[in-house]
Parts: sequence; C-alpha cells; structure tokens
Amino acid sequence: MNSCKSIRELIDEADNPNLLPFEVSQHVDACRDCERFSTERAGLRNLLGSGLRVTAPMNFDAMLAARLAETRNRGWLSWLVPANYFRLGAATAGVAALVMVAQYSGLFSSSLTPSQQATVATTKSNQPAAQSTQPPVADAGIVADNHVQRERVTPIVIGPRVGSSRLAAVTIGRVRPRETVSSDDLGVVLVRGQNGGSDVQMPTVSLGAQPLLYVSAGKQQSSRNVGASF
Amino acid sequence: MTAVTHQAQAIELSGSRSIEAANDHELLAAIRDGDEIAFQELVRRYRNPITNFVYRMLDDYDRAVELSQETFIRVYTSASRYQANYSFSTYIYRIATNLAISELRRRKRRKMVSLFSPYTNDDGEAVEMDPPDLNVLQDEALIANERRHAVARAITSLPQKYRAAIVLRDVEGLSYDQIAETLKLSEGTVKSRINRARNLLKEKLSAYI
Repeated sequence: MNSCKSIRELIDEADNPNLLPFEVSQHVDACRDCERFSTERAGLRNLLGSGLRVTAPMNFDAMLAARLAETRNRGWLSWLVPANYFRLGAATAGVAALVMVAQYSGLFSSSLTPSQQATVATTKSNQPAAQSTQPPVADAGIVADNHVQRERVTPIVIGPRVGSSRLAAVTIGRVRPRETVSSDDLGVVLVRGQNGGSDVQMPTVSLGAQPLLYVSAGKQQSSRNVGASF
Repeated sequence: MTAVTHQAQAIELSGSRSIEAANDHELLAAIRDGDEIAFQELVRRYRNPITNFVYRMLDDYDRAVELSQETFIRVYTSASRYQANYSFSTYIYRIATNLAISELRRRKRRKMVSLFSPYTNDDGEAVEMDPPDLNVLQDEALIANERRHAVARAITSLPQKYRAAIVLRDVEGLSYDQIAETLKLSEGTVKSRINRARNLLKEKLSAYI
C-alpha cells in the first residue's frame, strides 16, 4: 500500500491530471484527503492550461525580418554604432591619461639608484681638480652662475619630479659661461652653493603636448628668469 | 561528425522532402546553410508557443512579442553553433526563458513593481496583494475575463524561480525532463519547484478551482 505522500507525488507528476495510474486511482477512491488533493490539482492544472493562449501578431514575421536585417547589418558596421564611439573615446582618453601620468611620474626617464647617487656625490667632490684642463663639452648640462666664470666640472642634476623632489636624471657636465645657457637645454640646474643669489634662466615647462608659456607684460616668452638662492 | 550529419540533412531537405515534413534539426541544418525558407518554417512552428510562454512569464504582450522575436534572432545567429544533443524545443525554450528572466531581473532593478505588489515576502520576492472580489459577476464573458486576469496575476506574483517551471509545465505542457534541460536543473528540483508553485497558486486561485 502506497503512502499518501507518494500517491500525491504521483498525482503531481502525472502528465494528464485526469488520467491517473491504476494504483493511484485505487488509492484515491479509498482516501478522502488524497481524493480532494487530486481534485484540486486537476482543477488547478485545467485552469492554468485552459487559459487564453496569446498568439503572435500578424506582422510578426515582417517585424522579425526587419530586425534580422538590422542585426546582420550591425554585424560588420558595429563600430559605427554611437555607443562604440563612446567606448573608443573613453579608451583613447584612458590611454592618454596613462601616458601623461607615466610621463609626469618620470617613468620614461632614467632614475637614480642609491649607488648612482653615491657616484654623483663622489664625482662632485673629486672632478673639479681632475678635469679642470679638459675643454667644455657642447651638450653638457646647464649651470648658471654669475660669480663663477671659470670653467670647471660640476655635477649637474636635471630631470622631472620624482616623489617630492625634482632630482632624477643626472648628467655630469661642465660649468659653462652664462651666454651658453638657453631654453633649449631642457633643464634647470640648481647647484647648492654654486648659484648664490643670481637669476637663473628657466625654460618653459611642457606638460604633455601643450607647452605652458610664461607671459610677461602680454609678451610670450620661451623662458624666464627665476631668482635662486642657495 | 555533427557538421557532416547536418550537411547531409540539409542536402536531403533541399532534395526530395518538403520543408513542412522536415524535423527541427533538419531545418536548423538548412538554416546553417543559408536557407531562409527553413528559418521561416521554424518561426511558423514556434512563434505562437514562444510568444505565449514569454507573455505568461511577463504578463506584457508587447514585450513578449519583442522577446519572442529576439529569441528567433538568437536562434538564427547562433545556428552554426547549435548542437543537436537534445530537442530543439528545449533549446528554443531555454533561450526564451533566459530572455524572460533577464527581463524580470531588469524590471526588478528598475523597481517596476505592480500596484498590486506592495509587499515582499521573507525571500525578498514581491507578494501580490490580491483581495478577494466579492462582487457578483453575472456575465460569463466577464467571468472568463476575470478568471484569465486572476490566473495571469497569480502567475506573475510567483517567485521567479517557480514561475518558469510552472509555466513550462502547466501552460506549455513540457515534460519534467524537458523542463530540467531547459532550466539546467535536476529533475528533482524541477518537481519540487512545480509542487511549491502549485501550492501557492492553489491558495491564490481557490475561488476559481
């Protein structure tokens, strides 16, 4: 004898609620609760199944054909979709921002390691006497010093900002007369104890591709003089 | 191997047999070979059941038609990837079910809640406030219309996980194994969900049973 629970499971699982297996019908005839359960289930399933079935509209095929044609065209012209413009623009802006950040943080320039910094310090203390007879090097860094007109070798530190300091790239060069300093040298050299209170000619700063020009009295200048005191 | 079979079916379809006599897999193979007539035949076979199924899921005829068309577009565009491991009806109902469930989730995110559903149950699902209508209905058409609306409201008030199972079973008449394949669930889970859904519907529709 099947239990009521298993009988009800069979009633639920029947494909046709009005055509139950023999053992289920036998049990339902003898069990009032299961009979009521079977009646309720049959009524519910008939109610759900007998509801008005909606059909597709008359123009379903035409609308589908139009959408399908649109989908086909979108396949190879998807990049023309306005949404893709935004994606492309956002990607370009993101790359530009990354390049600017990398450039500003000095990622593209050589940076000093602690050993290199030590070498620079050593060179600074030793080189003036050792190389005082050598001729000036044309592409050396810049040092502007009104008080020191003689040629001598001085460590020159130029480069973009690293951390909170602007000391990054190092070029060992010579002191040159003031006349050789120009804005094309692309660097500012401030040497402790060497510059005194003199004016130092500073080139304009370029941020990305847009130079920031210094304007003085309505006239654009490619460089300006900045007072330096060390 | 599958591709060879489909190709053979397509050749056979374009030969002696009429397109109406072709089974769903043969039609899919023909669609893969670019046969537009085969696709039209497939649409003719399934447009009404799919539209009705999505309508029962959403209770929104216009949106049901749109999603039904989207279902056929997906069948067409992914015909080359179709694998005849199970019946095509299971495959197309699965696409339609996924689209309908996505639509229900989208509506839930947008908080498109019916005025009849001001409450949520313990599972966070919307629970319909369906007070009994004590008015006497004298016209049979009115009664039938009211019954239809009551059934639609009762189905849409079901939790989402029960809704697809009960509609596929009691409205569309799919078997348990087909529903299990469509919903990617075990047959036991499907039976359990259908049983729960029927118990909930019995309470809501007791006046009409």
